[in-house]
Amino acid sequence: MQMLQMKRFGAAGVAALLACSSFAAQAATDGNFGATSQGTVGISASVPSRVQISKLTDVAFTNQDPASAASNAQNVCVFSNTATKGYNIKATGSGTSSAFTLANGALTVPYTVEWAQTTGQTSGTSLTTNVALTGQTSLATTPGCSSGVATSASLVVKMSTAALESMQSNTSYTGTLTLLVGPE
Amino acid sequence: MSVRNGLAALCACAIALIGTPAGAQSNNVRITGLADVAFGSLTGGDVSRAQNVCAFSSTSTKGYRVTASGSGASGAFTLANGGSTLAYEVQWNKLSGQTAGTGLSPNVALTGQTSTATQQQCNSGPATSASLILIVRGTSAAAASGGNYSGTLTLVLGPE
Repeated sequence: MQMLQMKRFGAAGVAALLACSSFAAQAATDGNFGATSQGTVGISASVPSRVQISKLTDVAFTNQDPASAASNAQNVCVFSNTATKGYNIKATGSGTSSAFTLANGALTVPYTVEWAQTTGQTSGTSLTTNVALTGQTSLATTPGCSSGVATSASLVVKMSTAALESMQSNTSYTGTLTLLVGPE
Repeated sequence: MSVRNGLAALCACAIALIGTPAGAQSNNVRITGLADVAFGSLTGGDVSRAQNVCAFSSTSTKGYRVTASGSGASGAFTLANGGSTLAYEVQWNKLSGQTAGTGLSPNVALTGQTSTATQQQCNSGPATSASLILIVRGTSAAAASGGNYSGTLTLVLGPE
C-alpha cells in the first residue's frame, strides 16, 4: 500500500497598493468668538486594495488505493476589499519550476489543483502553476471571514490513478503548495 | 429735575449698574487653531492623529463644553467614498500635547472642561490649550473597501 502525505500548504496574501492620488479634504476653519463657537476639520484617508486568503488546511492522502483517483476539497476564505470584491489567484508547487509535484528524494509524483470561487465545491477551474486565474469574486465581507460567510471558495487537490500507480509503496511523498491572491 | 425724580433716576442707574456691571462681558467661547487631518494610506493597525488647538472660555471658571459631529449619517464619525464608509473615533483632552483623551459621541456634549487659554486665539499665554485626537482603527480600515475617503468634523464649544 502506498502512503502519501502532502505536508503543508503555504499561503500568501498580497497587498497591492493603490496609487495614492491626492484628494482634497475641506480646509479647516476656526470658530468665531461668541456664545458658542463652531470650527470644522477636514479629514482624509485612503485604503489600499487588499486581499487575504485564510482558513487553509494541510492535505494528506494516506494509504491511497492506486485504483481510485484521490481528491481532497477544502473550503477557504478569500477576502477582497475592492469595489467588485474581485481577485485573481496563482498557485505554485514545490517541484522543479514550481511544478505541482510531491517528492521523496528523487522520487516525484504529480498532483493537480483546481479552484472554485464558491464554497462547498468538489471541482473547479484547473490551475496551471504560476499562471493567475483571473476574474474571481468573493462573498466574504470581512478579512478572515470573521463575520458574514464562513468560507468563500474551494480548493481542490487531486491525484490521478496514473499518478498513484507510479508511486513507490510505503513511501511518503511531501510537498508544498503556495497560493498567491491579488486584488482585481 | 425734582429731588424725587433725581432720586428715582439714581435708583434706576444703581439698578442698571447692578444688572450689567461696568466692563462685564457675556460668557463667550472660541475654538481656533484647527488643522485638517490626513490619515494617509491605511495599511494596517490603528492610526491616530493628534493636534493641539486653542479652546478659550471667558467665563469665570474658564469652563466650556465641546460637542462634535461628523459628516456621516446623523452626525456619525464616518468618512465616505461614494457609498462606502470608514469609521473613525474622536477624543478630546482639555490639556494640550496629549495623544489620548475622552471619547466623544456624535452630538453629545462633553461637559466640565476648563481651559488655560488667556486670550481668545491663544495669541498670548499658552499657544494651545486642548488636544483633539482622531483615530481610525485597523479593524475598520481592514474591512473597508479600497479607495479615497473624506469627510468633515464639526466642533462646537459652549461656555460653562
